[in-house]
This record gives sequence, C-alpha cells and structure tokens, in this order.
Amino acid sequence: MNSPESPAHAASTASRGEQVRLGCDIGGTFTDLVLQRADGRLHIRKASTTPDDPGRAVVDGIRALLADLEVAPASVIEVVHGTTTASNAILQKSGARTGVLTTQGFRDVLEIGRIRTPTMFDLGWEKPEPLAPRRYRREVAERIAADGSIVRALDPAEVQAAGEFFAREGVETVAVCFLNSYVNPAHELAAKRILEAAFPALVVTASCEVLPEMREYERCSTTVVNAYILPAMRGYLSKLRRELSAIGVEAPIQVMASNGGMMGVTLASERPVFAVASGPAGGVTGSARLGELTGDRDAIVFDMGGTTAKAAIIEAGLPAITNEYEFRDGISSPSRFIKGGGYVLKVPAIDIAEVGAGGGSIAFVDAGGLLHVGPESVGANPGPACYKLGNERPTVTDANMVLGFLNPVALAGGSLAVDPALARKAIAEQVGAPLGLDLLAAAHGVRHIANINMARAIRAVTVERGKDPRALTLVAFGGGGPVHAVDVARILGIRRVVAPVMAGVFCAAGMLTADVEHDLVRAVLRRLDPQAGGDLQALADALRAQALVTLAAEGYAAGDVGFELKADLRYVGQSSELTVRLRGDTLDPAALEALRADFQQAYLETFGYSSEEPLDLVNLRLSARGARPNRLAFGGIRLEAAAVAGVQGRRQVSFARGDAPLDTPVLARGMLDATPRAGPLIVESYDTTVVVPPGANARADAIGNLIVEIDP
Amino acid sequence: MTTAAPDPNAHAIDPITFSVIKNGLDAIVDEVAYTVIRTARSEIVKDVMDYSAAICDREGRMVAQAKTIALHLGAIPEAMTAMLARYANDLQPGDAVIVNDPYEGGMHLPDIFMFAPFFHAGTLEGFCVVICHHTDVGGRVPGSNASDSTEIYQEGLRIPVVKLYEGGRINETLERLIALNVRVPEIVLGDLRAQYAACRVGLRELGKLFAHYGRDTARRYLAELLDYAERLTREQIRAWPKGTYRFLDHIDDDGLSPAPIPIQVAITVFEDRVSVDFTGSAPQVKAAINSTLSYTKSCTYLSVRCALTGEVPNNAGVFRCIEVHVPEGSVLNPESPAAVAARALTGYRVFDAMLGALAKIVPGRIPAAGEGGNTVVCLSGRRTDRSPFIIVDMICGAWGARPHADGIEAITNASQNLSNTPVETLEANHPVRIEAYELIADSCGAGRWRGGLGIRRSYRLLADEALLQLRADRMKFRPYGLEGGGEAMAARNFIEQAGVATALPSKVTRPMSRGELVVHEQPGGGGFGDPLAREPARVARDVWNGKISADYALRHHRVVVDAESGKLDAQATWTLRGKPRNVAA
Repeated sequence: MNSPESPAHAASTASRGEQVRLGCDIGGTFTDLVLQRADGRLHIRKASTTPDDPGRAVVDGIRALLADLEVAPASVIEVVHGTTTASNAILQKSGARTGVLTTQGFRDVLEIGRIRTPTMFDLGWEKPEPLAPRRYRREVAERIAADGSIVRALDPAEVQAAGEFFAREGVETVAVCFLNSYVNPAHELAAKRILEAAFPALVVTASCEVLPEMREYERCSTTVVNAYILPAMRGYLSKLRRELSAIGVEAPIQVMASNGGMMGVTLASERPVFAVASGPAGGVTGSARLGELTGDRDAIVFDMGGTTAKAAIIEAGLPAITNEYEFRDGISSPSRFIKGGGYVLKVPAIDIAEVGAGGGSIAFVDAGGLLHVGPESVGANPGPACYKLGNERPTVTDANMVLGFLNPVALAGGSLAVDPALARKAIAEQVGAPLGLDLLAAAHGVRHIANINMARAIRAVTVERGKDPRALTLVAFGGGGPVHAVDVARILGIRRVVAPVMAGVFCAAGMLTADVEHDLVRAVLRRLDPQAGGDLQALADALRAQALVTLAAEGYAAGDVGFELKADLRYVGQSSELTVRLRGDTLDPAALEALRADFQQAYLETFGYSSEEPLDLVNLRLSARGARPNRLAFGGIRLEAAAVAGVQGRRQVSFARGDAPLDTPVLARGMLDATPRAGPLIVESYDTTVVVPPGANARADAIGNLIVEIDP
Repeated sequence: MTTAAPDPNAHAIDPITFSVIKNGLDAIVDEVAYTVIRTARSEIVKDVMDYSAAICDREGRMVAQAKTIALHLGAIPEAMTAMLARYANDLQPGDAVIVNDPYEGGMHLPDIFMFAPFFHAGTLEGFCVVICHHTDVGGRVPGSNASDSTEIYQEGLRIPVVKLYEGGRINETLERLIALNVRVPEIVLGDLRAQYAACRVGLRELGKLFAHYGRDTARRYLAELLDYAERLTREQIRAWPKGTYRFLDHIDDDGLSPAPIPIQVAITVFEDRVSVDFTGSAPQVKAAINSTLSYTKSCTYLSVRCALTGEVPNNAGVFRCIEVHVPEGSVLNPESPAAVAARALTGYRVFDAMLGALAKIVPGRIPAAGEGGNTVVCLSGRRTDRSPFIIVDMICGAWGARPHADGIEAITNASQNLSNTPVETLEANHPVRIEAYELIADSCGAGRWRGGLGIRRSYRLLADEALLQLRADRMKFRPYGLEGGGEAMAARNFIEQAGVATALPSKVTRPMSRGELVVHEQPGGGGFGDPLAREPARVARDVWNGKISADYALRHHRVVVDAESGKLDAQATWTLRGKPRNVAA
C-alpha cells in the first residue's frame, strides 16, 4: 500500500514550516475545531453544524480558522476526525441497499435477533426494522459444523446466482454471514471472492473478517451494520479528502474509532462499524490523557450535552472497553437492563452509558402526580424556554436558570441572549402548580431528578461493573457537565471533580491525544489448562503479525507499536465472559495460571464470589497501538486568553431546597489559581459554567483545569 | 446539603423525594436482575433469561420489578404468604428462603423462588426476591418439565419453604440433598448461588436507601408507591364501560386425552375495580398442564396491566384493583397431587382469553392473539463419551395484529420476556445440529393489519439416542383474529428420518435416534380487521419481501401481485376487489 496516511509523508509535507494538527468533532449543534501548534498553543473554533452535509462545516471551519491564524494549509500535518456519518446513516436509515448471503435455513437470523423487548406490558411496541429486508437475504446450501468440519460444500454456482439477483435488484453492498464461520471461514471467504470477481460493483463484507466470534446473530448484525454504512462512510471520507485537498490541506485524515483510538482512512472505509461511536470517544480518550497529568488515573468521565448525558470510566489510565453494545434510536429508559431495542454491534467500544438527561430535557408531571425529566428533549432549536425561541416547556436548563446557576443575561460567552422570566414561567406553571410547590422547590425538583438520572448512568458503568465510584474522580465536561457535576458527585459519594480546561470543546481536543489503535480477536473456545499454551501462543503470534502488517501500512515501524493481549474467559457452562488482560506477551503455563488467578479476582470484584471451577477461554484479543510522537499532551498547552476571560460579579443562587438563596460570587475562569476558594462560587467561561456549592472548594491547576474538592 | 432529602413534614409525601425513591428502586431491582444474568450458569437463565427479580416491602408486597419475566411476579404474593406463614418471626440477616412447591405458593418445580429478608437497624424492612427457572430439578424426565406427568411426585424435587442460607451460611444438608436429586448439580447450584449473589446486591442497595432516608420516611414512600399505582389503575378503570365481558379460548388437549380444554373468562368492570371469574374453565386434567392458583392470578394481573396505558408502576398496588375467582379443582386451580410442570401453556391461554375479553372493554388497545406461548423443546441423552447433555430450548414467537399496526414477528410472547439460545452456542455445547431457524411465510392471520409470522426451528440429533420432549399447542385451536381479522396458521410438528417426514401431535415424549430431525413450526399471530381493507401497497410489500406469497395475497386480500418482482397490479386488484373498501392512501 502506498502511504498517503503515513506520518513520514506528513512530516515531509510540513518540513516546509510550522506543523499543526487539527481535532474536529461534529455535534448536534456545533462542529468544534481545536488546532494544536507545535509550541503547545491551542486555538478553538466553534462552527454551526451543517446536517445536510456535515463535512462542509468541517472544511469551512478549518479554512476560516487557518486564515484567521495565518497558518498555511500545508502546515497541517494531520486531521483527527470524529464523524457522525456512520451513526447518522443508521439513525436516519439512509445507508446503502444491503443484502445478506447466508446458510440455508438461516435467512432470518438478522430479523429474529434475540427475541426480547426492551419494555414490558407495552403491546404497541415496534421492533426496529432490519437493515437488510428479507427479500435481500439469500441462502446458499452450504454448511459448516460447530467443529469446523464441512457438512456440505459451498456450490459456487449458487453464490453466482445470488450475486446476479443482488445485481438485478440494485443491491449495493452484501454481508456474507455463514453459520459457524468463526471456526472455519473458508466458505465465507470463497463466497466473497466469487462475488467480488463476478460483481465488482458490489461491496462485500464477510462476517469472519469483521467479527470471528461465536453467536450468529451478533456476528451477522455487526457485519450487516458494517455493510450498510460502508458506502456512506467511504463516500464521506473521500469527499472530505477531496475538499480538504482543495483548500490546500493535504494532511492525512485519521478517524476516531469507537474504542478511543484512531484509524486511518483506508481501514475506516472498510470497517466503518468500528467507528459508529466515533464522537464521544474523543472526550473519554482525552480524559484518560488529562488524568495522567492531574493524577486521576481512575476516573469517571461525565459528558452532559443538550439531549443526553454520557458516562464512562477510566481504569489505571485506560478507558474501560466493552465488546458489545446496542445502537439505539433515541433513549427510552435510563435502565441498561434492556435489550432488543436497537442494532447490536459486537465491536470494541468505550463502555458508555447514556441517559436522556441533558440541558434540553423536558420536565413534566404525569397523571398520577409523578415528576419526570426527559428523555424527550427540546433540542438545540427551539431550545429551553429561556432561549426565547418559542419553546414554552420547562427544561433542565430552565431550572438551572431559575436557581441562579446560569448567567441571567446571556450564555455561550455572551452570544446567546436569554430571558429568565420565561424559565420561571415555564417551571412555575408546568411543574410548581401541578405539584403544589413554590418556584424554587419546583426548580430544585427538576434539577434533582436530572441529577438522579445522570447518577444512574454513572452507576451503570461503576456499581454494575463492581467498581466503587467513591474512589474515583469525576471528570465533567460538555456544556452542562460542570453545572451539575458536584451535585451528581455527592449523590454517589464522590469527593473530587475535575472540570477540564476547554470543557466545551473537550471531545475535539481529546481526539488530538489519541494513538492509532487496532483491536483484533480470534475465537478459541477451549478449556484453560496448561496444555493450552502452545496453541494460544501460535494464535497470539499470528494476531501480532496481522496487526504489524496493518500498522505498517499506516506508517508505523514495529518498534513504535505496543501490544496488549487479553482473553475472554468464563466458568465452564456460563455464556457471558469477562475480558482479562494477560500480564505479559508469552503464554507459558505460569502465564496461564496467572491469567486464571486474575480472572478469579476480576470475577470476585464484579460478582461478589468466585470458585475454583474450570474455565473456558472463549476469545483471544490483541490491542495494537501505534504511538503518536506528536500527540497532544495537556501538560504543555497554552490557551488563548479569550477562552478563559469573563466578567466578575455576584448573584443570588439557590443551592439547596428550603434554604435561602445565597449571595454568590461569580468569577471568570482565568481568575482562579492554585489557592483553593471555598464555595459558594460560580465560575463562568465562554463554553461552560462550573458550579461550586457551599461545602466544596475550587482551584485551578497550571493549565487551567478546575479541581473541585468536596468536603466530607 | 443537597443530598439530604428534605422532609419538611413527617407525614407528607414530597413529590420530588417520591420520584427519586421510585427511580432508586427501579435502579436497584435492575441491578439485581443484571447480577443474576452475569453470574448464572445455565443457558435458560443466561441466554433465554427465564428469571425475574423484585423488591418487596416489609409486609411482602411487591414494590418494584425488574424488566424480566413479567408473568413470574404476580405469583409472588402467594409464595410470600407461604413463606411468611412459616418464617415471619424467624428471619435474620443473611437468611435466604427458597421454595418451589406449587402447593406451597410455587408455580412449577423448576421455578425456585428465593426470598432474602432485608433488615435495617435491627428490624425487617423488606425482601429481595429472585426467581429462576432451573435447568433440572430431578423427576422422571430431564429438564423436569414434561407435560405428560400425572402426579407432582413424578416431576422432581419438591422444596417446601426452607432456608437455603442461614445467617449468610449455606445449609449444606439442603445443598447436598438438592445436588443429589438433580441431573446437572453444578449448574443448578451455580444458578442458586447466582440468585443469592443477586439478592445480596439488592440488600446492599436497599441498605443505602434506608440509611439515606431513614426508616420511617422509607417505609412511608414504599407504601405511597403502592398507593400511587393503585390510584393510577383505579382512575383508568373508572373510564371503562361497566358490565361483564366474556371470552372463551381453548388448549388443544393435555396430550394424554384428546379432549379440548376450555378456558372461560368473565371480566366484570365495576366502578374502579375489576373482578375476573374463571368459572366454566375445564376441571383439572391428568397431564401436567394444570396452572396453580398463584400462576393463574399472575397471568390475570398481567393481562389487566397490559390494558392500562402510561407508566403505571409494576407493583402490588395494581393487584389491589383486581379480584380473581378460580374454581377449586379446575385446570386453573388444581388440587394436590395434580401435575403442573408445563403450566406455562395454560398461563398463555389465560392471557389470550383475558385479552379477548379486554378487547371488548378497550377495543383500540388490544391485539389479536399471538402465537399462544413459547414452545419448549427438551432433548436429553448421552454423548458418545457417555457424558450427559440436556437442551432446554424455547421457541418464540409472534404477536397478533394490533388495532393500528401489524403484529410483530420473531418476538417474545408479550406475557414473558424470553430470549433465545444462539444456534452456534447450542451446536458448540451439544450433539445437535440446527438446520433451520426461520420465519414461515403465509403463517400470519390476515387482516387490515396482519399478524406476525410464525417461526420454524429444527434439530438433528448427532448422538446415538436421546429423549425428545416437545410441548406445543394451537394445532386445533388457532390464534384468533379480531374485528374480522383471520386466524393464523396452526402449529405443526414433524419428525424426519431418511427424508421421510411424519407428523407428530402437539405434545410429544419419544426417543430419537441418530440422524433424526425434529421440526417445529410455531403459529403466527391473528389478524385485525377486514383483510379486504388492507392497503394493496402493504400487501404488495409483503409479497416483495417474501413474507407472504402472491397466492396468499390473492386468496386473503384479493390483491394481485407479481410473485417474482413483488409489483402490485392495481388494475387487476380493483377489478377483483370491486369498489374500494375503506381505502387509506
């Protein structure tokens, strides 16, 4: 492969002068850009998102930012991009016309799924439409047994006939999903070759290449999602490439992957399913890097936007990863204990819990007199009642406005004028009156329910995983994160909150901190015993070799690649696994014994008991990381003064229900230093507000992160 | 501080605190359920998810329920009553009481209830309850779920209300007794430990809740949760038309005698409550499909709950508005020692009959009949190396057409929330090859809205021999339609040896030999409304998508569609249908 993406190429481009990197995150309302200069200076730009053509805001924003800074486009050595192309294609059902080629008798695996409903007692529920309709799901009479032996050989003529059908029907992309292909991929690969040779216009994805793991539905669903979004992703990235080149930015594009690493354009165009959760990953990776600096290697990442709040955890400096998640349309419930509501993706992704609680979440009282907040949201437009854009329903932002937490004149650095009277009216009439509560009590109620819902997302990634949140730091960003963080921390018994510098564009900044990272997996399914070592070692070596080839194509020499080997283990007879890291690179009997002990420890921590019963090793996983020499390190950054400027003043803030409002100092972010200041305190900056209630104190560290310590 | 719940008046209900506690309990009970699935051993719990979890108050009334098997939870009151009758004054922290005896509050022997008492500051304040369907509890057939047993004594180990854990220590005598009486002791004991681990998680979290709010406040809000659900329920029933509404449905037979088994329901709507009377239903039957009173009540509560709109909490407050009368000695309230293992089938038919009657009360809200319950396929035997295997596989399902939408295909019965076992998991663990797992075209009931399609699943035996037990139904009495919608296709069972298929009855217990293939076809769901009023475009779309044939379109809808292309022939359709009836765009 030639290497338009290689760092070497980039370096030669930039040798003409300054070298800058760009991080770029597309959100529902804003497209955020962060420009990193070699000397540590950071520049920030927010552009309005262009939903009809998301790349336009990216390209226009980059052009404007470079022009303002008088930086030559050729100086850009890399663009790191969080893209919503994949997730939008699924949400809007705008992906390609997708076919499935499968084993006879299993045409409907994709549609049957796992049978469950996410609700109970709801006879009006609708099951999500499969991304490939039944008509485009075709069978061939091949069969491989569970042990990999061939029961019935693949007939090439049948594959050919299916291909002709696809071509006739205008199918653009095909997922090949045969039963038991995780043990023996021969038939899938043969079918793929036949289709590609005879029908060059068809884009073919074989399930054994995307997910060589047991469980036909999960593998098929993942492969179909990949096929479905592949043409859109390929089209988007090639258009972005052309348009960036047109403005003189020839630097390689890196796509943020769901696992928090980056992937090159070539891989992202073949395996877009690994980048469906591209957007939020940047913030989590950034939090992990920031934690290295602030000493918060074990932390909860809390990102609150307009519609939802997200939570993830960092353990020992690394984001916690899940190997399976469900991509769902909207958020129906804060409960994670639901399945069947969406499309299953069994790929490594940062383990993110999401609840429908954001600044725009609507508060309402039901017929039985119960107060609800969310999941319905007013979105960015018309926005909360106080935005004066026509919405009259009360939201979480309105509650914060009523209580005095938010600036009563304008938000977003003065660019968004607000009217607190509209917030008061909405809260009083639609929450206070039906519940018989006064204005402040009603506003506290709305805020408190939102806090409880957000705490539930955090519980999902901590308590439900056997982690005690009290030992962790809460890293809060997004427009609303620092407004609620201390109260949410208190609900969970957390004592330390960090509101990072650039909290409002933190996802884009976080992307600049990522390495290139590839996760490979192979099904093993064998008893974990001392005899397993030889086979496993051979498998691990093969995975390593494969990763090196991929990373070499992206410009990484073997010496710059780090590996981490993991195993999915379970007690014999169980059907869900825990992923455990191997302590080293070798798989000798001692290493396997250590692995067993580590599994038992992890099991004990997660479930409260463990036993000496035998273990099955289900999958072997390898994470290969190509280290970025020039990745953003927060320690050396310098922010523009405008980013931390603001106005000093005082206002009345109601911190606790039933207590009198307090006359509270309001400070600009740049006015805090290393000396802790006791709450009550409101710290404003152009992109967010940090609320420091009584009983907590705040200080700024050397680069402008706010550290809030909460009294016991 | 903001975390301390304000409690200005010691007797009042603060709406904010109420919301917070309700959310808190929902989160706790989901966490309990989550712990079960992650720690259990068996496929039936982990993959099929045949288990459930609840939190009860100190009087044993259910206040919160996880999103698991809905039908289990209405059975808690009877089991709780039995448990309290024995241990009300003899519970201490660390205890866990189990029971499975259908004649002491249980449902059927594989379902083992576990109650863990919750203590706060030395007094009993509630219970965490986890119910799991266990893979085997002994008895004459593997899986302990045969439909052809005739006495409870054949069905396995009966566990009366006893403590499995005392003060945090497992009762080893009982544990060894259980281990000796079941076919897969490590799986059963593993699942029991999972139940206990999950209960402990629930107790820990309840402890935090009580510590935070204090005993009196917590008690008051738990009681208010029940009152709140009761208020919402009564408010809705007030709007229902008063009167008595009847519906009759049937189970084909009990597998031992060919006699149909009627399930007769009469719902009387009073001012703000309903009374449900099952008089006229069959007397108890010889085979094991008798439904215990606890299970019958559970199905009844669940059906009414499905007819309620909005977010009514799933708790005992709803039960207060529903009276249930079931004649003693009937198939819905049998006397010992009637066999009950396959009672789930009867419960499904109670659900179907209840919905049929409710459709007359709230007609815009109730679907036509679904598939009539999951089919249970149990295959057991020994592998070539003589090691035993048991497959307990559940096949679901289709919903009937709704008043405003088609039924759903490939979906758990609405009264359950089951999942399926992946084919690759089954094949990797057991000597069996699944040769089809697919939808059955044309199996739906026709209507303005069509029912969901049924599902076919087949199993080829790769061991020398095995015992097959198959429990299906709806071969004679097919899923009903509503408002002129058609019945769905009936269920079918076959066995194939050397390419020759032989039809089997709905309930089967027979040996299988190597290479034989057993095929089960589930019925689809019933239709809703006049099939001739279905929009031709929807009919054509179904033909295009391979869900119905062009022949079905013609026969049921008088819509002409090209079989290959799925293209609608509008001209021919108008000619056939005559004047358009009830045309929607």
